[in-house]
Amino acid sequence: MDAFLHQVLAGLATGGIYASLALALVMIYQATHLVNFAQGEMAMFATYFAWSLINAGVPYWPAFFLTVIFAFVLGVVIERVIIRPVENAPVLAVVVVFIALLVILNSVTGWIYSYTIKTFPSPFPAEPIFGKYMSAHEAGAIGVTIVVLLALYAFFRFTPLGLAMRAAAQNPDSARLVGIRVGWMLALGWGLAAAIGGVAGMMVAPIVYLDPNMMGGILLYAFAAALVGGIDSPGGAVLGGFMVGVLENVLGAFVIGNELKLAVALVLIIGVLTVKPSGFFGKVFVTRV
Amino acid sequence: MAALLEVAKLHAAYGPTRVLHGIGLSMEQGTITTLLGANGAGKTTTLRALCGMVKTQGEVRFEGGRIDAKATEDIVRLGIAHVPDGRGTFVNLSTEENLRLGAYVRKDRGNIDADLERVFGYFPRLKERRTQQAGTLSGGEQQMLAVSRALMLRPKLMLLDEPSFGLAPLIVKELFGILRTVNQKERVSMLVVEQNAAMALELADHAYVIETGRVVLSGTAADIKRDDNVRRAYLGY
Repeated sequence: MDAFLHQVLAGLATGGIYASLALALVMIYQATHLVNFAQGEMAMFATYFAWSLINAGVPYWPAFFLTVIFAFVLGVVIERVIIRPVENAPVLAVVVVFIALLVILNSVTGWIYSYTIKTFPSPFPAEPIFGKYMSAHEAGAIGVTIVVLLALYAFFRFTPLGLAMRAAAQNPDSARLVGIRVGWMLALGWGLAAAIGGVAGMMVAPIVYLDPNMMGGILLYAFAAALVGGIDSPGGAVLGGFMVGVLENVLGAFVIGNELKLAVALVLIIGVLTVKPSGFFGKVFVTRV
Repeated sequence: MAALLEVAKLHAAYGPTRVLHGIGLSMEQGTITTLLGANGAGKTTTLRALCGMVKTQGEVRFEGGRIDAKATEDIVRLGIAHVPDGRGTFVNLSTEENLRLGAYVRKDRGNIDADLERVFGYFPRLKERRTQQAGTLSGGEQQMLAVSRALMLRPKLMLLDEPSFGLAPLIVKELFGILRTVNQKERVSMLVVEQNAAMALELADHAYVIETGRVVLSGTAADIKRDDNVRRAYLGY
């Protein structure tokens, strides 16, 4: 029972990271109806930036916030410079751009930092808490995730800018007619998604260690989480993230073994797409014409 | 007095298909002007051209300044509110969120709550529907919402694209009555595109008749109403 509880709690910690990345995917998806395959590599790149800062002697939390800002700017610049010219291109062309971005970020990071695995510090103490069920880092990661998610929810729900971003994603023509600069809202969305990814990267790096390929598997779990929750539902993506995290950990520990863990994500993806493509929380809207 | 809106030799095209062939019109501050014409005459395109939603050639002046090269988002900031064809409802947002978006570009954020009450005064039904998802409102309610969203801008000029479309006659009457009130009380100028020529001429001070992208007739609403050709073609008696 102890072991089981331990696995569930550890699953919640990684689940929070999947949830963040899944939310980043959903944010881009809502505005563009495309899945940004480079989301994980953008997060990885931001995490390396944090590593550089920390290595240069910057204390953890200042480095953390500088990295969030760096990731935000990176996201905005990528949207403005790379994505915007292909805005109206066919879907496959954009997908190719996303994949190219993935490969380029991965290779550039490897070129700058080498492919050797590095350790990444955690800001939380090393001792376990909650009666040894959970490491302090896992608890801290859950806390950070929840703070990020709540801040984001408040931003979209209660601020005029958040409302304008939702409007721009839903109905760009009408949004322009009330004066919203739709192009900038998209760029802002990319920036926010990249910033969330950066936080996820910094939270997962102490667990999986830092290397240019660290986000590959995590992006798959995040994708599974987004699909389970419903690719157009931010709340669903978050719940899906925690569900996938727990499921993957428990199944990996007790049923199928750690080697087959990633298959859980793939099975989930195929299962959801065949049985319930809208996911568990994908909203069905009634529209009159 | 300089005209509020002045359009000269306005051309517009969708790709290779030319729709407007040199439209010219002029509007005084505080008046209601209507654009009449058959389907495909270019009425909707004229409105879309005025707020930068289609590529145009020619000159559009608003309060004396050129706006024909401006982006839609910037034209809104000058105080031109467009109630588009199809109403442009943000269907997944609540009624109140739709209305707040109408005031998005306003700097005087403190007055927005008061303005919500102001439009609820015109359309009490929307107040009852305040938290409801806008896509679930009836057609008439969505049209009221579209007009209200435009009013939230506190516009100088409203462009209304077929406000009567798909509405029951009684609701059309109510809506046009409110437009008249808004025009008189708030001095909001309006450019109304309509298929329902009888209602539009009742409401408007001036009228233009458009055929295949050209103005073929213009004058005061009263004169146009008496014109034999208009009577036969648009009023049906």
